[in-house]
Amino acid sequence: MLRKASPYLFALPAVLVFAFTILVPIVMTFAFSFYDWNGYGEMRFIGLDNYDRALHDRIYLSSYTHIFIYIAATVVLEVLVGLGLAGLITMGRKGSSLFRVALFTPVMLPMIVVSFLWRFVYNSDFGLINTVLRAVGLDSWTQVWLGNPDTALLAICFVSGWVYAGFYMTIFYSGIQRISKDVYESAYLDGAHEGHIFFRIKVPMIRGLVKTGIMLCVLTGFQSFDLFYVMTNGGPYNSTEIVPTYLVKVVFSHMSTGYGSALAVILTLVIAALGLLANKLGRKGDALEY
Amino acid sequence: MKKWITGSMALMVVGSVVAGCGNNEESGGEDKVLRIAMGSPGEAMIAVWEEIADEFESANPGVTVEYTFQDDDTYQTVGLPNLLSGNNAPDLYFEWAGERLYNRINDGFAADITTQLEESGLGDMFAEGSYNGMTVDGKTYMIPTAGDVTNVIFYNKQVFDELGIGEPQTWAEFLAACEAVKASGMTPITVGNLDLWTAGNWIGHLLSRVVGEDAYSNALQLEEPFQSDDFVQAYTLVQELWDRGYVNDNINAISDSESDMLFLNGQAAMHPIGSWLVPTALEEAPELEMGYFNLPTIEGGKGDQGSVIGVLNGMVVNAKSSMTDEAIAFMQLYSSDESSAKLSAAGAVPITTTGLDRDNTPELSIRLNDLLAEAPTVVAPPDTGYSIEVANALNTATSQVIGGAKSPADALKQLEETVAPLKK
Amino acid sequence: MASLPTDLNHRLTSFDQGLTSAKRRKWRSHTLYYLVMVAISCGTFYPLIWLLLSSFRENRDIFMAPFALPEQLNFHNWAEAWRIGNMSTYAKNSVLVTSVTLICILLFASLAAFALSKLKFRGSGLLMLLFAFGLFMPLQSFFIAQSYIFEQLHLKDSYMGLILPYTGVGLPLAIFLLKAYLDSIPKDLMEAARMDGCGDFTLFSRIVLPLLMPSLATVGIFSALNTWNELLLAMLYIQTDALKTIPVGLLAFSSRYMTDYKLLFSALALITLPMIVVYVFFHRYIVAGLTEGAIK
Repeated sequence: MLRKASPYLFALPAVLVFAFTILVPIVMTFAFSFYDWNGYGEMRFIGLDNYDRALHDRIYLSSYTHIFIYIAATVVLEVLVGLGLAGLITMGRKGSSLFRVALFTPVMLPMIVVSFLWRFVYNSDFGLINTVLRAVGLDSWTQVWLGNPDTALLAICFVSGWVYAGFYMTIFYSGIQRISKDVYESAYLDGAHEGHIFFRIKVPMIRGLVKTGIMLCVLTGFQSFDLFYVMTNGGPYNSTEIVPTYLVKVVFSHMSTGYGSALAVILTLVIAALGLLANKLGRKGDALEY
Repeated sequence: MKKWITGSMALMVVGSVVAGCGNNEESGGEDKVLRIAMGSPGEAMIAVWEEIADEFESANPGVTVEYTFQDDDTYQTVGLPNLLSGNNAPDLYFEWAGERLYNRINDGFAADITTQLEESGLGDMFAEGSYNGMTVDGKTYMIPTAGDVTNVIFYNKQVFDELGIGEPQTWAEFLAACEAVKASGMTPITVGNLDLWTAGNWIGHLLSRVVGEDAYSNALQLEEPFQSDDFVQAYTLVQELWDRGYVNDNINAISDSESDMLFLNGQAAMHPIGSWLVPTALEEAPELEMGYFNLPTIEGGKGDQGSVIGVLNGMVVNAKSSMTDEAIAFMQLYSSDESSAKLSAAGAVPITTTGLDRDNTPELSIRLNDLLAEAPTVVAPPDTGYSIEVANALNTATSQVIGGAKSPADALKQLEETVAPLKK
Repeated sequence: MASLPTDLNHRLTSFDQGLTSAKRRKWRSHTLYYLVMVAISCGTFYPLIWLLLSSFRENRDIFMAPFALPEQLNFHNWAEAWRIGNMSTYAKNSVLVTSVTLICILLFASLAAFALSKLKFRGSGLLMLLFAFGLFMPLQSFFIAQSYIFEQLHLKDSYMGLILPYTGVGLPLAIFLLKAYLDSIPKDLMEAARMDGCGDFTLFSRIVLPLLMPSLATVGIFSALNTWNELLLAMLYIQTDALKTIPVGLLAFSSRYMTDYKLLFSALALITLPMIVVYVFFHRYIVAGLTEGAIK
């Protein structure tokens, strides 16, 4: 008797916590999305009105544009730069493991620390960047980096790259390490130079890993919050507004719980769709490595 | 009471945890508990509240006073609604007059205290004007505790004297003053508009002066469009400030407190902000000679050119509370001259007719207090007077114009698009 | 070269001449390589060094001469930030929340992974599907209702209000990683133990758990750092200052002392330094934990 029940007993704590903290809230959020509701007062059923409103919400729609720009930029600044760095530290030069450990450091810092630090770095009065520019006589290049809608989003993307390039580098590094030494040796004997080896051997051999990295970058891109919240909180002029920062405003400042729920449901659907798509693409390609 | 809606949720430290927040349920026995909630008024003020509570408890055996002080931004957004819908809902709570109070009334959380105010005599302790935005259909729902002028233009007296500038009375004089400051190599005006409400308040006042109070108020209630010639004209004045380089170039990148520091450090000549700057200035830069002037008159404007932008606040008795009489009695004690003296000493400006200690309150605070009390017209700021979503949309448009990102017409067009889904 | 002292100049030239052209090319590429790597490392570390230096200075100096070195290593700012910022309370809360969360995740996940991998039962496929779903879901898809539920149950402003959701968020990935590892362990081992009359629980505690230890370390590092750094939920659920974790505490501190740059820089340095020390000592495990946790 106990034998039969025991698998369920083993799974029970995890299932309970997971259901209570995630599954039930997801279902409830879905239910809330059909109501006009401020989170504590009367709930009024309004069908799909919230969704209709979402599709006409300029800020909400633009927040998707921003997140896609952010994701595209971070794929370059994190994954591709990381790939380049991985190429550099696997050239077999002395001390490269030191660089590898060093470049990973920013990943350790709490995002909140990173955000504040870079807020200062970008500060237009005493920030590091403008000071350096002034010091080298490029006064006209100085910017109010986070106060200018043309630069704010890219400034944030750059910080993201600063943190995570070392992270992707490490992932690709471990992939490259597994490539058999014979492959290189024959290439070296043929007189191939480093650039050649990078593009013809290293990158193709870890293609699967790079794909995984891009997928990871895209999916975690949707979860970004801390950087945006602390550095600009969506400003200036909503030019760095992303779904999570906007959701917090809608729900906890505008007190539109029902509407916010609809926005959250749409986001969930978008991510689920992307996840499935990524899964499909991943299957199609060579998912052999890793 | 220094800050209010920032639209954001940047959370502030409550300074001290003096008043154990909310969950202290130690009071056993048969004691009735009078629960009072508010955003943290700062350590000095908390001490006064505690003192008044002790006094109240000794005068009313069997009643315990329990405070919940949340940090301001939390209180204004998630905090108060959560408290009100919770099990230990407050009997008495802080709120702003106007739209926010009306929402509480609609949700059934504000008690009609008209008769209690009359019978207890508490109602007569305040001037008629102090009840602005606290009455609906002749019924009173709030006990006033303070008023804030949310925007005047503070200036550095020394700079003005050196450059031979007087307090500008008209917009033209104001522009001339800006030009003179700019020519001297200093930033004329500093605003920290990261959270949108700072320029939002200032320019909101300007909008009401140009388009008229009714058009301003109706537009914010979505009864009239923002896209009108008058609004364009008003925003054109704002655009000029940016185009001529009169405002700091990082206006939308710094917070209100950063901007306060720029002004107090003497790096800008003028700083449009609310009356709460006075105590900050006395603390941070006591040597700074600071003056202020109300928004200069704008020729051809349709609004009252003597208007003041400001907001009143006070305490509301929870309609679901069983302790209405105790709450009224407590507020009577709070409004007494003795309490007022303590409040003044802690830096507050009491609002009762007899409570203001004119000898021991900073002169600027008294003048600001009188400015509000004697104002021919009081304009409500977008973020406390109206729906926060519309206010945010308007303040965003303002930030675009004052930051040089959009032309008045484009900003207003986008504003209409933003608020379009809100019209029902 | 002309401006160099002649004997050095001479030596360099002879050095140059002594190399074959291939060697010279190699030498140049080496120099270039190290120049590039050092430049990249400087780019990575300079903001951190600037943070550290600024934390020793006075506000006015930071504002007026951002580049100058501090006059002395003055830890006064640090002490003040620690005291005013209530950092010891926040640190205590973070340690408490993170360690309890970690224990819950590791225990619950290994129990579930064991059941899902080695015990066949009806509904296990569905369970895996649910956890896979959870793997993808961002906080935003559930925090609105979660906040409401926690409000109703008075879980906000309590340690449980953070430990529960952090555990819930950490579980799916932990279960996946641990299950994948258990799947790779041959069945024979389990069968043999069963033959000896081991019940499921003994099997778990005596055999599975010890086997899982290396994977638990990986999962643990990943979960611990995620929990340690979480901001959004902590910000929404914790209002009492005495219960705040480091990220929210810092947020609160910063909005109050936004213009007291030296204090803010000091607070940031105070939080950063221990993390770097931990990293220096345990980098091997941390790097492995984070990358493996993320990629699988």
